[in-house]
Amino acid sequence: MSAEYTCLVVEDSPMMRQLLVFALSRVKNLKVTEADDGVDGLRKLAGNRYDIILTDINMPIMDGLKLVKRVRTDPMHKDTPIVVITTEGSDEDRQRAIALGANAYITKPIQAPQVIAKVKELLKITG
Amino acid sequence: MEKRGKGRRSERPPVDLAAQLKLQRESFVSTFFKKGAEFTEALVAENDRLRAAIAEAERDNAALRTQLASDEAIRDLLRKIEDLEREKQALLSHVHEAEAHSTQFTNRHEQIEEELANLANLHVASFHLHSTLRLPAVVRHLRELLQQLVGARVFAIYVADDVRNELVAIAAEGLTAEQLKPIPFGATDSYDDAEGAIERAFVTGIPTIEEGVLGPDRTSPAACLPMRIDDRAIGVIAIHELLPQKRSFVSVDFELFRMLGVHAAAALLGAQLLMAADGRAPGVEAFRGITPSVFPKSAPTP
Repeated sequence: MSAEYTCLVVEDSPMMRQLLVFALSRVKNLKVTEADDGVDGLRKLAGNRYDIILTDINMPIMDGLKLVKRVRTDPMHKDTPIVVITTEGSDEDRQRAIALGANAYITKPIQAPQVIAKVKELLKITG
Repeated sequence: MEKRGKGRRSERPPVDLAAQLKLQRESFVSTFFKKGAEFTEALVAENDRLRAAIAEAERDNAALRTQLASDEAIRDLLRKIEDLEREKQALLSHVHEAEAHSTQFTNRHEQIEEELANLANLHVASFHLHSTLRLPAVVRHLRELLQQLVGARVFAIYVADDVRNELVAIAAEGLTAEQLKPIPFGATDSYDDAEGAIERAFVTGIPTIEEGVLGPDRTSPAACLPMRIDDRAIGVIAIHELLPQKRSFVSVDFELFRMLGVHAAAALLGAQLLMAADGRAPGVEAFRGITPSVFPKSAPTP
């Protein structure tokens, strides 16, 4: 059966990426693509439509906030839901990410059920 | 006739008598017919009244019959209502049971999902710890694991220097050089501060982990995790503070700590030994004699 949804995970830490991919594997019909950092993320986004993007904030080369800003200027992904994942827990960082166009914010250490619930909510998947 | 007529003298003439008789007869007949008509009328009226009474009785009878049938129908309906009520109660009971089952299943599902997530955390941590034998990479993975999976903000990783009998910090986050000075171990005196807690965890091999919400005025680390392999103590991981959004250790952290106690030690020692051997593994001869029937202790003579 072909995937109904596609997701791009942008995370420089292989450990976190593996955890996120595991968590997302619990969402039915969701195909996950991985990117090592913001630049790799942009490369993967070019010409490919994704239904949702999960990105870390603290990354080398291009951080998650810059990526969010760039994604929002891309006509293909200007409305794609973006979940920002970071170690920062302050409201200020949360507001910054949201102001740039992120739809949701998850703080590390991540809990798989929380990631699953957020992705389902944004993709409007029930059950 | 004449005699009689002569003997009885009448004052009126005989014509008048006949007329009178005639009148009387006519009056009688008239009265008779009149009475007969009245009687007939009375009979007809009585007949009508009786007919009306019969009709009314028949109507009453029909009404009573209808009412009787209606009462029976009502009784039937009441019986049906009772049956339906019983059925409704049974269905409600089933629904409640099903809801209870569903809640049970949901809770169990959530539990399983949580356990699965915890296992994934353990798998990922263990996988990355043992994914390399390069010492810098092992240390980097260990740091990452503490930051990303545990949510540690301030921590230090100490390794034992068996020559100087002290624990030396090999990696840390959020601590100054002053705070990371070597910690002597095995001395007769024990300290009560943070260094004492770290030293005790190393010497005894017993981890100390603060349960519940971490207080702001702690003098000792929130967790001191001795790293041991077989019976050999390798070092200690000391977690002083967690990320602001994490206020206490959760169940998976305790599992991670148990895993780290052994796996971090094995990963660090393995990488350390390989580094000491200039990256050269001892070769296949090192396996000789482990399973003598397969790979004998001494090589067969040519």
